[in-house]
Amino acid sequence: MYGYVRPVKGELKVSEYEQFQAAYCGLCHELGRRYGLACRFLVNFDFTFLAMLLADGPSVPTCRKRCIAHPIRRRTCACGGGSLETAADQTVILAYWKLRDGIRDGGFFPSLACRAACLAIGRAYKKASARRPAFAKAVREDLEELDRLEAEKCPSVDAAADRFAAILRAVSEDIEDVGRARAVGELCYHLGRIVYILDAADDLAEDAAADRYNPLRYRFETADGKLKPEDEKTLRTSLQHSHNAICAAYALLGENPYGGVLSNTIYMGLPSVAQAVFAGTWRAGNRLQRERSGI
Amino acid sequence: MNDPYSVLGVSPSASDEEVKKAYRELARKYHPDNYHDNPLADLASEKMKEINEAYDTITKSREQGGGASSYSYGGGSAYQSQSRYTGANVQYAQIRQLINANNLAQAEAMLGRIPTHDAEWNYLMGSVCWRKGWMDEAGRYFRTAATMDPGNVEYRNAVQYMNQGGQAYRPAGAGMGNMMSSDAACNLCSNLICADCCCEMMGGDLIPCC
Repeated sequence: MYGYVRPVKGELKVSEYEQFQAAYCGLCHELGRRYGLACRFLVNFDFTFLAMLLADGPSVPTCRKRCIAHPIRRRTCACGGGSLETAADQTVILAYWKLRDGIRDGGFFPSLACRAACLAIGRAYKKASARRPAFAKAVREDLEELDRLEAEKCPSVDAAADRFAAILRAVSEDIEDVGRARAVGELCYHLGRIVYILDAADDLAEDAAADRYNPLRYRFETADGKLKPEDEKTLRTSLQHSHNAICAAYALLGENPYGGVLSNTIYMGLPSVAQAVFAGTWRAGNRLQRERSGI
Repeated sequence: MNDPYSVLGVSPSASDEEVKKAYRELARKYHPDNYHDNPLADLASEKMKEINEAYDTITKSREQGGGASSYSYGGGSAYQSQSRYTGANVQYAQIRQLINANNLAQAEAMLGRIPTHDAEWNYLMGSVCWRKGWMDEAGRYFRTAATMDPGNVEYRNAVQYMNQGGQAYRPAGAGMGNMMSSDAACNLCSNLICADCCCEMMGGDLIPCC
């Protein structure tokens, strides 16, 4: 997806960092096991977060495995557990539809690349959507609706973000406990809203230069792809309310084996990512961070 | 009922002080102020009830006639339905009830059928948006309502709550990070430290530890 949902590494305990890495590697292996090598490249921070969020029980079983990225030393991976399987299925489904989007929206070469990638994961998508028909349907419909809103240049940030947020809320629908499903759904909805809006803010200058649709361009008056300070404040205040909603929903969830990593991501990760996006340092910092982190 | 000690997350051998501390932290976590017009408010107030009962059970079972202070936070609903509607406006009362019951689709449909968009209409539309998670639209409707009827306290409070960014539980030590510009909170701290430095220069001290 986007990689906006991530912990602040410097603030993680070593044990929490190891857990986070194990979840990331676990999701990658699960993607490989269920859908083949090509799909392992779809692993991302956002769905690692969702896999951790949906994890149940007091602890997660781990095993040690090798992979192409780490051929010499075995790494600790989370293994087994329904939440990794769910997250793997959902990763494939969402990636497939995002690529389909890319085929239509991109220029000649980008759309060719998307077509090739789409072919590569086409069979995986068939399998995944057979396993999660409801989620696949929700993603398809919500993205279609989002396309429609984007085509008619919808001036409401909330309406556009709503469709993307609804996709993430659909992640919670397999949860049996009604209260827990509601809390996870609310958390994921606002997570989706924040991700969508941060992405819009991050792309604003680029979209303005290329005269592409960006909800912020139609909601606010922008000059040179920049928001006015008072508009930025309004937007960030509305993100703050979404962040509060995430914190409020998170407080209602029971114990989680990844509690430390999740708390870090929610209380510190999201605010610092937002800070970086609005300061304009996200794009540059992102690449550096990834190189340094070594995962 | 669940074991009261496990509800509070303490062992049965915990001291009174530890029990009280655990209770206070949980009460802070599920405080109704953190669930202001939140669609999950009912879940939070259930939790609040559970920990209140657990704390009462523990204090009662430990009490030997001493005056251990048993207090509990109330779980009052933050969103009061108002009964000031008369005549043509009974529809608004109905809409408020729908919003309170979290029946947002129907409330929105009813609002959509009302042709005149007065201040109250904007306020209720804002409330629907707020509960749906459409925070930006909610703010716009609230501001419109307050502009149309500047004397109304309810509208003004909504705008104020909107602008100030609301509140949510964060455990101690989780950092003060938020999504808004870092100025407000940080300025307060840095101003305090500056003031402390000034005081120290003059021989006084505002923050004793530094």
